[in-house]
Amino acid sequence: MIEGRKILGSIGLGILTIFVIVAVFAPYIAPHDPHQMYRPMEHPSSSHLLGTNDIGNDILSEIVYGTRVSLFIAFVVSVISMLVGTSLGLVAGYFDKVGFLIMRVVDVVLTIPRLPLIIVIASFIRPSIWNLIALFLIFGWTMPARIIRSEVLTLRRRYYIDATKMIGGSDFYILWRHILPNVIPLVVVQFIMEAIHVILAESGLCFLGLGDPVAMSWGMVFHYAFECPIIYVSDVWMWWMLPPGLCIVFTVLGLTFVGYALEETFNPKLKNPFGGMER
Amino acid sequence: MTLLRISDLKTQFPTPDGIVRAVDTIDLSIGERETLGLIGETGCGKTVLGLTLMRLLQSSTKTEGTIIYKGTNLLKISEAEMRRIRGEEIAMILQNPTTSLNPVMRVGGQIAEAIRLHQGLSKRDAKEKAIEMLDAVRIPSPSIRVNEYPHEFSGGMKQRVMIAMGLACNPSLIIADEPTKGLDVTIKSQIMKLLKEVTEERAMLIITHDLGVARELCDRIALMYAGELVEYATTGEIFEDPLHPYTRGFLGSLPSNGLVPIPGMSPSLINLPDGCRFHPRCGHATELCRRKHPDMIEIEDGHFVRCFHA
Amino acid sequence: MHQISKLAYYFVIVLIILSINFSLPRAMPGDALSYLTDPGADIPVRMTEEKREILLAYYGLDKPLSEQYITYMVGIIRGDLGWSIYYSAPVLEVILGRLKWTLILVGTSTAIYITLGILLGATSAWARGRKRDMGLLISIISISSFPSFFLGILLAIIFGIKLDIFPISGAQTAFATYSSPLEEIFDILHHLVLPAATLVLSHIGGTYFLMRNSMLGVLGEDYIMTARAKGLSERYILHKHALTNALLPIVTMTAMTVGFMIMGTIFVETVFAYPGIGNLLYNAVSYNDYPLLQGIFLFLTIAIVGANFIADMIYIRLDPRVNHE
Ligand SMILES: Nc1ncnc2c1ncn2[C@@H]1O[C@H](COP(=O)(O)OP(=O)(O)OP(=O)(O)O)[C@@H](O)[C@H]1O
Ligand code: SF4
Ligand SMILES: [Mg+2]
Repeated sequence: MIEGRKILGSIGLGILTIFVIVAVFAPYIAPHDPHQMYRPMEHPSSSHLLGTNDIGNDILSEIVYGTRVSLFIAFVVSVISMLVGTSLGLVAGYFDKVGFLIMRVVDVVLTIPRLPLIIVIASFIRPSIWNLIALFLIFGWTMPARIIRSEVLTLRRRYYIDATKMIGGSDFYILWRHILPNVIPLVVVQFIMEAIHVILAESGLCFLGLGDPVAMSWGMVFHYAFECPIIYVSDVWMWWMLPPGLCIVFTVLGLTFVGYALEETFNPKLKNPFGGMER
Repeated sequence: MTLLRISDLKTQFPTPDGIVRAVDTIDLSIGERETLGLIGETGCGKTVLGLTLMRLLQSSTKTEGTIIYKGTNLLKISEAEMRRIRGEEIAMILQNPTTSLNPVMRVGGQIAEAIRLHQGLSKRDAKEKAIEMLDAVRIPSPSIRVNEYPHEFSGGMKQRVMIAMGLACNPSLIIADEPTKGLDVTIKSQIMKLLKEVTEERAMLIITHDLGVARELCDRIALMYAGELVEYATTGEIFEDPLHPYTRGFLGSLPSNGLVPIPGMSPSLINLPDGCRFHPRCGHATELCRRKHPDMIEIEDGHFVRCFHA
Repeated sequence: MHQISKLAYYFVIVLIILSINFSLPRAMPGDALSYLTDPGADIPVRMTEEKREILLAYYGLDKPLSEQYITYMVGIIRGDLGWSIYYSAPVLEVILGRLKWTLILVGTSTAIYITLGILLGATSAWARGRKRDMGLLISIISISSFPSFFLGILLAIIFGIKLDIFPISGAQTAFATYSSPLEEIFDILHHLVLPAATLVLSHIGGTYFLMRNSMLGVLGEDYIMTARAKGLSERYILHKHALTNALLPIVTMTAMTVGFMIMGTIFVETVFAYPGIGNLLYNAVSYNDYPLLQGIFLFLTIAIVGANFIADMIYIRLDPRVNHE
């Protein structure tokens, strides 16, 4: 079991590293300029490893650059969500009155189904990656806020936090020195969950035609492939649809593996099958 | 007549940090209708010993030795045969009644299921029997309470339910793990009274840290330290003539003797000290104690001690 | 008491959703409704002068906001969700016309994925750490990593195009005449297989993991040890003690995953051109049919929130401890 955890975690980390490298060094890795037009609908060849699309862009280069867009959106949303969510969660866990208010807002936002709302809003506004990021942020902060708060409530009950208070530590100092380090593992797991969510949701929006047509993410490449009337004829789907789809799958898989490994490490209750026994 | 004879019993848990030797080479016997008290500090392996007798530990556990119950070695029989023994021949009352009762099942159902299984009674008859059992452990208006859920019972009442569950199939041996832990004085004395009645008709192994409980209920007492027995004698001998320094320390920590705790901490069961396991805490330790591991010796008739200088 | 406060909570949620729906077209920075008030703007597809009038009257943009709000609320209560530009019909009518298919799709898939998820989750937990558990775990993690539209397309390509055993589009064969109702049912089921399989596969992870974790927690509980100490068989303990306890937290969470599944229809119905509400939403997005879009948003959102509400109510009924407090 412990071995399984380590193996999965390393595989996940490996997959993610590859994608990050591709994103960072996209200009050096992509064989062509993704906006350059060649003969459309070319089959794979040595000059276009994954052929060209309906307007003649090199598909491989589009996907390589698409890695940047997809990962960028997921990364920015997750980082900001965690910053906001963690801060609000800490505050909410530490100051009861404000906490109550924040938690009611969290309850409401979490009860409203996010995908339909994002879809309607996205249809009303012009989709751009910044608009998409803003949309995801409306929801992203809520789960970390809720989870961090309940952890803080547990931590607060531990004696040492009261003890610090008695010798005159300020509230901020206590939050920073004693509580924050304890909630970091939770934040990391939440970060991964949010990144998974955003990768999938963004690709879904693109699939419905609500992506940013200028910034080609994996989802947009997939969308244009799906819209192409002859996608199933011959094997066009194999080089136009499968690769961006698999990029999404492997990114999610990598994140899930890492998240799973971390969770098993941080959550010892799940580790011991006899955890319920009092000893 | 000997009902249960344990020889050379070892229970070990392989863990990532090393092997936990929770029960180490234990010899014990319990006669019919005899009540044996098993006493020791927290973490010394008492519960594990009980669970080993019931064969209730996870499959990765290593168990060696023999447990002869009514002439059969419980470590050699099949799981199906063992299931027939559990509840019907040997019942175990687990420590902590609050977590040991299923929260979403009526207490009547929890008592009745063992009866139905072992005695083949119909649902209705088993329920009648469950009401009888609740009555036997002095739960007021048992025919109403039989339909209630565990959270509707107080701590003492839950302990009574646990005892009723143990008694349900009239087993020859009951293992009771910390039956009085966490109860206030009045409730505790009521439960002790109840247990006293129970001990009159069957053999019992009572696991406890509470010497008062042991003195009241037990015929003989075994003291356990770091996975092994260190002293084993009749209750009278243990209280009047304790020979092992650990036993004396334990007696000294009784409220009536001024609550002087034994200094130091019990060792980790992964890294046991060389020589006598008690030597780091023992006031009488000598060079011999540090080097050699003492054997259990019979100092007087039926009085066993594991100490060089007893 | 508990139930009443829950009821009040969900009432507030529905009010909030209605209000969001009201403010969306009016507050958006884009000129979603400019074509209604600005004579120079591009008029969307199939928009006649007459329809413009109907829409203008529906939104009532010339009136004060408070009056618009009241009119809107009254309209909702009377079932008036506006006029679909693309379909030239009342939004509610268009939605109800599609409802049947979505209900069939979500209904069958939900029944299958909940049962399957619970069974697999329990199996996994029971075999914890052994080969069977790890195999299930990794397969389900992998399947859950597929966006549902991608999974659907792969199934369509493999089973619809390459193997050609299931239809990949529509809910019934087009222009079919059936000789018996049985034949029709068979045709409908035939068309249902791939979309339902896609929904089940892409959502099973939720229930599976909930069940596995819940069950693992329960198996470590002392009362399971008590049950073993009574000599009960493993199978009996699994059914009578472990499952009931493990299922309790699942109920609430599962209804939440039903919500996810309703959202999943948006993609799956689009992939398989399945004529339900999800596919309708896709059309509404493609044709900028805002009133229809908003109508579907309301409809789906309230359905999902409703599922959560029902789950909460069931939970209160199931757990004896909640009732008591
Ligand atoms: N399944 C297990 N795996 C690994 N170690 C275990 C397991 N069960 C028990 N132990 C260890 O074995 C030792 C003995 O535990 P046990 O529960 O028997 O103590 P105890 O004497 O009953 O203590 P208490 O009085 O607190 O109940 C402890 O150190 C415990 O950590
Ligand atoms: S053997 Fe030595 S160390 Fe151990 S109890 Fe006896 S006197 Fe103490
Ligand atoms: Mg114990």
